[in-house]
This record gives sequence, C-alpha cells and structure tokens, in this order.
Amino acid sequence: MSDGPIIRLRGIAKSYYRETLEIPVLQGIDLDIPAGGYYALMGPSGSGKTTLLNLIAGIDRPTGGELEVCGHVLNDLDDDELAAWRSAYVGFIFQNYNLVPVLTAFENVELPLLLTPLSRRERREKVEEALLHVGLTDRMENYPRQLSGGQEQRVAVARAIVSGPELLVADEPTGALDHQNAEEIMALMEGLNRDLGKTIVMVTHDPKAARHARHQIHLEKGVLDRTIEVNR
Amino acid sequence: MRFLRLVLRSFLRSKRRTVLTVLSITVSVALVAILQSILATLNAFANNPDASNRIVVRHKVSITNLLPMRHADWLRQQPEVDSVMGLQWFQGVYIDRSNFFPNFASEAEYVTSIFKEEIVDYSDAQYREFLRDRNGALVGKALADKYGWKLGDVISLKSELFPITVRLTIRCIFRSKRPADELALHFNYKLLEEGVFYMKGRVGTFFVRVHRAEDVPKLIERIDRHFHDAVEPTHSETENAFQLEFLKMMGNYSAIIQMITGAVLVAILIVTANTMAMAIRERTTEISVLRAIGFRTSQILGLLMGEGILLSVLGGGAGLGIAWLLAGMVRSYVGTFLPYLQNFHIDPGTMSLCFHATLAVGALSTFIPAYRAARRPIVDGLRGL
Repeated sequence: MSDGPIIRLRGIAKSYYRETLEIPVLQGIDLDIPAGGYYALMGPSGSGKTTLLNLIAGIDRPTGGELEVCGHVLNDLDDDELAAWRSAYVGFIFQNYNLVPVLTAFENVELPLLLTPLSRRERREKVEEALLHVGLTDRMENYPRQLSGGQEQRVAVARAIVSGPELLVADEPTGALDHQNAEEIMALMEGLNRDLGKTIVMVTHDPKAARHARHQIHLEKGVLDRTIEVNR
Repeated sequence: MRFLRLVLRSFLRSKRRTVLTVLSITVSVALVAILQSILATLNAFANNPDASNRIVVRHKVSITNLLPMRHADWLRQQPEVDSVMGLQWFQGVYIDRSNFFPNFASEAEYVTSIFKEEIVDYSDAQYREFLRDRNGALVGKALADKYGWKLGDVISLKSELFPITVRLTIRCIFRSKRPADELALHFNYKLLEEGVFYMKGRVGTFFVRVHRAEDVPKLIERIDRHFHDAVEPTHSETENAFQLEFLKMMGNYSAIIQMITGAVLVAILIVTANTMAMAIRERTTEISVLRAIGFRTSQILGLLMGEGILLSVLGGGAGLGIAWLLAGMVRSYVGTFLPYLQNFHIDPGTMSLCFHATLAVGALSTFIPAYRAARRPIVDGLRGL
C-alpha cells in the first residue's frame, strides 16, 4: 500500500447552469486521498458529495481547479481518453446495482473485460475469480431478476473489481438494501480495501455504513467542512 | 465479435416489440420488392432488345382505326425492309374469359420471318401444315402445355372485338427464348377477312422488320411522310414504343409505383425509428453505466446502430424471401390475365435495391436516438433513474 495521494484535488469547483443562472455546487475543494485509503463522503442532501464523487470517478468535469487521479490529470483528457482511463483505473458500485437485465451475472461481470484485449479464456478466469471473491460462483448463470438485492449488489461489486482497478467509487452502495445485506456489502468492501488494497471513495447517508470507512469527509453547501479519522 | 452477444441480447430484450417491428418491415419490404419488380418487368417488356429492328405501323388517329392492306405493298418495296406482316389483335376467348392469352390474326406466311427471335424452334413440316390449312393455328409450347393441346386438336376462339368465332386446328407448336413469347397464338388472317365483312382488305397494324436497326428512325419518318396525305394516314413507331403505349393505357404506372414505394419506405422508417427510440430511451441509465465503466461513445453508437441494422436486415431478408415466393404466385395467377407479367420475377437489381434501402432505413432510424444517447452526459443518464 503506497502512502502517496492517489487522488489530488486542488481548488475544484463545479457549477450547473439553469439557462443563464449559475448554481454553484462545489467550491474550492482541496483534497488528498492516499492510495489504499477508504473514505466516506458525507453531508446533507445538496451538499455536493455525489458531484464530488462523479468528478473523482471521471464521469463529470469540474468548472474550475485541477483534478489528478491515479497519476492522470483528468482536466487534460478528452472524452475517449477519459473513457479509457475509467476502464483502466475505476470500478463503479451504484445504489441500484445497475446490472444489465438481459445479461447473466457472469456476462455482467465480464462487461468491463470486453474493453480489454484479453482472450475469452482469460476473461472467463477473471470473471470466475471475481465472482468467487463475492461468493456467487453458484449463481453466475442467473439473470439479475433471479437474484436478490444483496446478490445483485455483490455481482455489481464483482463487476467493479474484475478488471483490477486501483480505485473503487460507490454511490450509496447500501441505500437499497436491508440491514443484513447492507452489513454484508460493507464487510465485502472493507475486505477489498484491507486485503486487496483498493482505494475506496463512498458516498453515504448512513452513519453505520460510514463507520466501515477509515476516514469520513463531511461536505457542507459545496465546501469541504471536515475530515474525520474513524476509530474502530 | 465480442460485442455481438450484447447486441443480440439487447435486440431480444422486448421480444414482442422486436417481432412486431420485424414483421412490419417484412411486409413492407415484400410489398416494395413486388412493386419494384412489377415496374422492372413492365419496363423490360417495353425494352425488348429483340424488337430493336421492328416497326409497328398503325392508323394515325388511333389503334382502333384500320389501315388498308395495300399499304403493305409500298412498305415491302422499301430497300431497308426485310419483311412486312399485317397483324390484328383478335382478343379471342378460349372457353372462358379467365383463359386469357394473346392471340392474333396474322398474315401466316410472314409470321416466322417477322418474329425470328420469338419463334426460334419449330418443325418445318408442321409450319407447312399451318400455311396449308386455312384454319391452322401456330401456338407456343407453353400455351399448348397449359391447355393440353396436341397437334390436330381443334379449338374455338370467340372474339370479344369482332362478331366471329373461329375454329382452329393446332398445326404447329413452336419454342421461344422467353416463356412469355410461348404463350401466343397466331392464325391465318384470311379467316378474319372472310368472317368479318368490314375487315376485308383491312388490318389494325403492320409489323415491319428492317435489315439494320440503325435504319429504323429514318424509315419511321419516311413511312409517316409517305402516307401523310393518304385517306388512312399512319403513325409508325418502334415495337418497344408501341408496347409502352399499351402499358401507358394503365396510367402513369411508374409514378404510381414509385410513390407507393416511397410512402412504404417512409412508413418503415417511422416504425423502426419509433421502436429504436423507445428501446434506447428505456435504456438511458444502462447506457450511462456502460459509458461509466469505460465504453467509448463510438462503441455505444456501434452497439445501438448494430441493433437497428439487425432489426431492419432481418425484416428485409424475410421480406425479400416472401416476395420471392409471391413472385411465383404472381407469375402463375396474375400472369394469366396480364401477359406483361408472365416473365415476372424478383431480379438481382431489385433485391439489391431493397436490401440497401432496408440497411439505410435501419441506419437512419437508429442514428439520431443512438447518437443522442451516446453523447448524453453520463451523470444525466445515471440521474435518469
């Protein structure tokens, strides 16, 4: 686990425009997250935490400031370069799992690997490994509709880690789950951070989920309020 | 190829919608293929290369006005002329009106010299019998087979144009290059002259064969100039132009067919565009997820375009298959009433036209919704939940 910052934000600002009206969402965010860190982004609705996560994940662009993630200045990348960067460095976990309903669990996990030059056999090995990691090797031929919410989120986690990204971003990963499944997903993510050294940035409203992170970053009205180290 | 499974699975996402859309394309393409083939067949009929050195001479006023047989004497004296034959459309009915086939009262001794390219294979002995017998009939092999006629059989033809029924004996059966040409019957013009008093020494048309096709224009001009001041002035034209005039009696069929084709293509475009727009709209979030995990805009566009093109190609392929089957039925049934369609088939040009039109419809109908989906900001698509 390296101690250098894998995420480095300087003066990040983001505004949305409704016709000519500028609506600032983030202002002057400076943030360093070291490789192997596990950070929970917290704050009230509208504080800008999802927007910050989207910027870190490279699916949105800042209106100001410099954004360096996994050794790349994202401001400099065009859309295709950014897509290739996401494919190589970022794994996504969404609140509603967002699996492709017409693909089996195996095929959903395989999706990111279709963008790599790996052979069919190599892809199969990696997918099976990822599904083994989330404990779903027996459900790989099932479609999402044949899985429970917790199992769907596990498949989503397997899809996020299958291509071996350094960074995992999760937007309310337990938001649609019951307590038991939420705990299992949190334990799984903790294991990914602890055992595989994945850097995780997670948006959550849930203080219980946030306690699984090593640090909590609180945002207030688009401004970084405080960063707290979690004592476990 | 590694994305093919993704395209196929998405294509079958809503099976009912996909099947209905494919069916609507199938029916439309079949209709377009049939219409375009009818047009191609009719145009080919009026562009018969074998008729390039034949001229049809008729009365200047209309086809129903008659010309005197003596006009043939002057025509035969022209140095460019190879052969001249008086020919009258008889419109005889064999047993029932549904048994339609072209039948003509012709100057028997000139039939084979005028229609060299159509009457290509026959027995000299049979032909001599046809010339010898005033009631003899010269028929194509396909026509004889159709009604089971054999040499020596006697048949009756009741004319719908003249107050006469002729009894004919099959004396000669010929073969042709084109099936349509084997469906004709010729009998001796003298029978008509003797049976209908006002046809004595008169005929509807002269078919003139010239030695060299390049002499046709100047001869046409000379014939009409020569008879300009005659009591029965002439209107001469190439045989193809004459056939085209017949076709035009059905109206401006070409424009009508092209208009229907255009309307059908626009209808397919709208149906396919609607299907693809719905299919893409309901996958807004899924598309954003694919882009988030690294799919490039061009890859998303390719996946969606692949679906649209697959949809149209399947529908188009099935439509062409059905059109091919229908072509046989058109030949068998409609061709009986419309001799123009006795050669009806879906030619490779029409196949190619329909295939490319279908491809274009698939691409056009998908491109705009696919492009918009592929270019939509990822965060907007994810928020679309």
